[in-house]
Amino acid sequence: MAFVRAQKSKAYFKRFQVKYKRRREGKTDYRARIRLINQDKNKYNTPKYRYVVRFTNKDIIAQIVSANIAGDLVLAAAYAHELPRYGLKVGLTNYAAAYCTGLLLARRVLKKLEMDDEYEGNSEATGEDYSVEPAESRRPFRTLLDVGLIRTTTGNRVFGALKGALDGGLDIPHSDKRFAGFSKESKQLDAEVHRKHIYGGHIAAYMSTLMEDEPEKYQSHFSEYIKEGLEPEGLEEMYKKVHAAIRADPTAKQSEKQPPKEHKRYNLKKLTYQERKAKLIERLNALNAAAGADDDEDDD
Amino acid sequence: MPAGHGLRSRTRDSFSRPFRKKGPTPLSIYLRTYKIGDYVDVKVNGSIHKGMPHKFYHGRTGRVWNVTKRAVGVEVNKQVGNRIIRKRIHVRVEHVQPSRCHEEFLQRVKTNDKLKAEANARGEVISTKRQPKGPKPGFMVEGATLETVTPIPYDVVNDLKGGY
Repeated sequence: MAFVRAQKSKAYFKRFQVKYKRRREGKTDYRARIRLINQDKNKYNTPKYRYVVRFTNKDIIAQIVSANIAGDLVLAAAYAHELPRYGLKVGLTNYAAAYCTGLLLARRVLKKLEMDDEYEGNSEATGEDYSVEPAESRRPFRTLLDVGLIRTTTGNRVFGALKGALDGGLDIPHSDKRFAGFSKESKQLDAEVHRKHIYGGHIAAYMSTLMEDEPEKYQSHFSEYIKEGLEPEGLEEMYKKVHAAIRADPTAKQSEKQPPKEHKRYNLKKLTYQERKAKLIERLNALNAAAGADDDEDDD
Repeated sequence: MPAGHGLRSRTRDSFSRPFRKKGPTPLSIYLRTYKIGDYVDVKVNGSIHKGMPHKFYHGRTGRVWNVTKRAVGVEVNKQVGNRIIRKRIHVRVEHVQPSRCHEEFLQRVKTNDKLKAEANARGEVISTKRQPKGPKPGFMVEGATLETVTPIPYDVVNDLKGGY
């Protein structure tokens, strides 16, 4: 093994400035965050809500968050893993599921704020660009889309979630440029294509193609769909039912959690300042008593 | 060529960011709210180029007289010749910190209000005025042993023993 002189000296580490923790973790884009959170100073403490959409490998997270110095506060949240409750058991991270999650979040927030009767949103998902009209009594709930670190390409699933929230009745400034079905040549949104994506039409088409051409791949790829008994033609019906179920009851269900099990403590408990002082006094008294006893013995 | 007296002259050190704090600014700066009448310190953040005050105001404290979308108006005292002028400047919030100069007063107001309310409930009249510290009370000196020091006659022989 050759001797290589150390690349990074002590001086290097002393001068090294670490990036913010969430930047090191690669989770937060601070440039975008500053611009999303910055509230006009002459609006004082009015919260500025952002609609956070994040995708994991198996789940979709949609939240309405307002920023705070102590930590951001989540007003309402919806997850794709809640969709089985409304009848959607498979395909929980596709465009259609993102639409459902966005719709669920929007209805949940509006119900929480008691605005769900005024702002019905778009009950029939047509794929066209829809923006909420202000009602007589209150202005619509305004929030800003926070995509996080994803690349905003046309047809990305975050925009499916955005469409779900818009149709649910939230006021989110947007353009139709990035919805699935927008063509760069004609600079127009093809509402039909977008509608197909919302109802899983692109998945149904792929299912049909695979069924004819490669049945084995179809069996392996869509095994969960087959288990549920879902045919390509029945997908649209299913999604319509899910939308209706979401609109009927969007309230979040609290899961019953047992209090966590108590574990045996393997290390010493850290003492408080009072306890440490008391211990010291005890030790000193013991020492003095012992010293006193020794002195008495020596004297004798 | 001569030095030049531009807007940001002589600010190489005062406007530079502190060691290992360069780059993005913490978000809490943007989440603070300022009301008219608050005291604020003006401290320039060299990485934000917009809404910078002039170098004179760096380190000054003033009161907020205006709040706009991204900035606050601060009223700062400046000595011009033989008088002090109240200057009104607008500064972006990144260059402003809430000042603690007034904090002790505001706390005292709170506690005094509470004491007055309690005394009012009891029906007594109390004075919440601050009193200056008076002279220390008298005390007996303890554990003092008296040592009388007298001069001794000068002993020439012994003192010159070292060198002569």
